[in-house]
Amino acid sequence: MTPTHFSFTTAFILGLMGVAFHRTHLLSALLCLEGMMLSLFIALSVWSFQMGVTNFTPAPMMLLAFSACEASAGLALLVATARTHGTDRLQNLNLLQC
Amino acid sequence: MNPYVLSILLISLGLGTTLTFMSSHWLLAWMGLEINTLAIIPLMAQKHHPRAVEATTKYFLIQATAAAMILFAASTNAWICGQWDINQMSHPLTSAMTMTALALKIGLAPLHLWLPEVLQGITLTTGLILSTWQKLAPLALIIQTANNTHPFLLTTLALCSTLVGGWGGLNQTQLRKILAYSSIAHLGWMILVSQMAPQMTIIALITYIVMTTAAFLMLNNINSTKIITLASAWTKAPALTALTCLVLLSLGGLPPLTGFMPKWLIIQELANQGLAATATIIALTALLSLYFYLRLTHALTLTLSPQITNATTPWRTPNKQPTLALSLFTIMATCLLPITPTIFTLMT
Amino acid sequence: MSYLFCMWLVLLILGLVAVASNPAPYFAALGLVVVAGAGCAVLAGFGASFLAVVLFLIYLGGMLVVFAYSAALAAEPHPEGWWDVSVLEYVIFYLVGVGVAVAYFSSEWYNYLLPVVSVCKEFFVLCEDVGGVGVMYSLGGGLLVICASVLLLSLFVVLELVRGASRGALRAV
Repeated sequence: MTPTHFSFTTAFILGLMGVAFHRTHLLSALLCLEGMMLSLFIALSVWSFQMGVTNFTPAPMMLLAFSACEASAGLALLVATARTHGTDRLQNLNLLQC
Repeated sequence: MNPYVLSILLISLGLGTTLTFMSSHWLLAWMGLEINTLAIIPLMAQKHHPRAVEATTKYFLIQATAAAMILFAASTNAWICGQWDINQMSHPLTSAMTMTALALKIGLAPLHLWLPEVLQGITLTTGLILSTWQKLAPLALIIQTANNTHPFLLTTLALCSTLVGGWGGLNQTQLRKILAYSSIAHLGWMILVSQMAPQMTIIALITYIVMTTAAFLMLNNINSTKIITLASAWTKAPALTALTCLVLLSLGGLPPLTGFMPKWLIIQELANQGLAATATIIALTALLSLYFYLRLTHALTLTLSPQITNATTPWRTPNKQPTLALSLFTIMATCLLPITPTIFTLMT
Repeated sequence: MSYLFCMWLVLLILGLVAVASNPAPYFAALGLVVVAGAGCAVLAGFGASFLAVVLFLIYLGGMLVVFAYSAALAAEPHPEGWWDVSVLEYVIFYLVGVGVAVAYFSSEWYNYLLPVVSVCKEFFVLCEDVGGVGVMYSLGGGLLVICASVLLLSLFVVLELVRGASRGALRAV
């Protein structure tokens, strides 16, 4: 495992743990998702450089486009949640508990 | 919702699943999954009441995390093996991670907690899409990666799912939550044989889709989301009520009905592989699921004797909903067992 | 591998620790800015200057501005920074975890940390990634169409989601 590989793997796992463990705000969960996407972007682009696969270079750009879509949907949900629940705290999302 | 927007969303839903089906590269499969998630979100939140928005938010967070995990596993695999093919996910760590992420995506048992809540918050029609069409793309990926996954992981996921799916549904009075737990239990049956006999998984998936579509359409027709409203369903549609019992028992897997077919074939396959203990456990956990289907049947038929009710009779107003799909799926959900050899031959 | 490059890698991990340790979104967005800057520098270190520019412009310029705006809208009077006890516990937990992982993996890193004479990259007129990205417009045309269509789809998704039940209401419940 090279240092670069180690650092973006660690970055992704940190983002995943951030989403999975206790979150106060919906917005900070979305920020963690963005951090995960960012580390994936670095992983894909560094992979295509290390392996010398030049044709794979568009893949990070596509990833960026899709993560932009995901982020926009997440922020729209943030707005919708703020309208219906009055706040973006994740503890308020408890209407459907078993 | 505007019909143009609705058609764009539905086309994208189809496009996403098709992309995942036809891709052999992890990036394209991931794109298909993302398109699927994005397209279903407005359909889930179209009512704009707090429960729908909450369900949508939970669904979005889970699906986005699972998709990111899948892509992370694929890129790690590419770093280790230099390979992006779906079929060649050969490193044990990355294939286990992919399987975990896919299990999170379809709601297999240790990662299932979102599914009942999400299904509870949305309408029955969207719930139908969520529990049938949305499962197709992840299941296609599961079937392709199951070869390289450790069997222990698959068996654990499957047995947990059938157990939790049966157990969790026992205490519920909400029909959508019961159907969610039934979905978890059926997915467990599919995962169990995905490594040794992928065609069984496909048969089980098809029968599950037929049965659950029939169940959702029936509940939509008599417009009930709680057990208590089932008790008066016979005043609205007596014939449909009788058939609903049969469909529910078919979901439970009782012999003369379609639902028996996948369970029979899967247990036979397990016996052929010499996995007697697994077959016994999974057959016993099916009894747990059968309990809540029987309870629904009991509420549908046996709690109210034929009598003069004091309430206004709902059958005075004729039901104008289209019933073509409902009748087709009901017939398929109850009568397909005799042509099991045909279906089996078609699949293998 | 130069000192500077190592520093960017460390900054990448530290930034994600800062985001993941559950501070107020106000500060978490700041952490993500640091991560994006560090990632951009890492890519530039590998010679992927075009991708680094794309990351900087689109990610930092486009998305993070929106996130920072949302964070500012949801701002609290007393946001929890990294110095509050509840957040500090997470920070220490994650840092210890990263430290353990570094201790486990760092035995292999000795070779990489030596300075390597880079192989005459300067003689190329064109960067590798610029040539690679050009593929997107020829062979990768189908993928480009898919990306464009998903961007259009996300426009509809956002419009449908934020439209209130009674049209145009600021707070429609």
